[in-house]
Amino acid sequence: MKTRIFLPIAGFVLLTLCGCRTSVNSIENAQKEGQRQMISDSRVITDGSLAKKVSFVGINQTMTPGGLLKIQIELLNRKRSLQRFSYQFEWFDASGMLINNVASPTVPAQIEGGESKFISSVAPTPTARDFRVKFLED
Amino acid sequence: MKKIVLLSIAAAGLSLTGGGCATRAHYIQTGGRESIVSVNSINIQDFIQAADAATSDLLASGALDKVSTPPAVLAISRIVNNTGQQIDTDLLVKKIRVALLNSGKAQTTTTLGLDGTAEDPMAKGLQQEAQFKSDQQTTRTPDFTLSGKIIQTVARDGSTSQSTFSFQLSLTDAKSGLAVWEGEKEITKQGGRPSVGF
Repeated sequence: MKTRIFLPIAGFVLLTLCGCRTSVNSIENAQKEGQRQMISDSRVITDGSLAKKVSFVGINQTMTPGGLLKIQIELLNRKRSLQRFSYQFEWFDASGMLINNVASPTVPAQIEGGESKFISSVAPTPTARDFRVKFLED
Repeated sequence: MKKIVLLSIAAAGLSLTGGGCATRAHYIQTGGRESIVSVNSINIQDFIQAADAATSDLLASGALDKVSTPPAVLAISRIVNNTGQQIDTDLLVKKIRVALLNSGKAQTTTTLGLDGTAEDPMAKGLQQEAQFKSDQQTTRTPDFTLSGKIIQTVARDGSTSQSTFSFQLSLTDAKSGLAVWEGEKEITKQGGRPSVGF
């Protein structure tokens, strides 16, 4: 009787565990034409759990044709399971003052196991000089 | 006896679940993580996200910078709501307008609207009066018009329901009538339908 109950439960647990673990394989050109302008970063980690799962690979920046700063951050999921998180960009002017942006969303995002993902944002005004991105685990 | 004990536990559990979980009214950050997420309707965080995506994309495209006398002048055209809910499209458009104005790249006219209806009738009246007195056209013709559509696509599988909201926007050159920028932001939400409705 016990075996009858145990077996379906074990099967369900096994299926659940297997189903959650999918990781991404990828292929790309080896000789890159584009040159990323990488910038140095400063990190404040208060959630070690999230940092262990989703790590920052690097940040690169460019200027748009209209003279706006564009930032791109590469993230890597170090785990084999899907991770959910939210992020929010903040922009600062030359005086270090936060630029009030009416459309500054907390963006929900997800990253597959082993996946490398880019998130980007364009500065709301040409006066934006610096930025900060906040990450929260969901 | 057993029944009485079980019933008492069940009643206590229900009262705790029903009463204990009731949250006191409190403030939250608009569009923040605590916001309510509804599968079948557009939440405020969706409007904020769609507006941000559209603004970033539009600013990055440089389309607004190609006017002879910057900043570009924008007129708001029709934003069609093809979702199942009644929404005020200004929840999307106003955020884009404010962001564009703050960027210094574009200004929106409030005296020119669809079917000749001005958003600000008083400003239109004053403008017409000024034109009449000076006998010259004082208004600047818009360089671009902004139009769009919000579409909802629904899918269901068993007790799981899914909604995709597509926010489509086009920026049209008022002289040529050609779309010089087009953007689309899709937001998909999935959730189970509650088995018991209250």
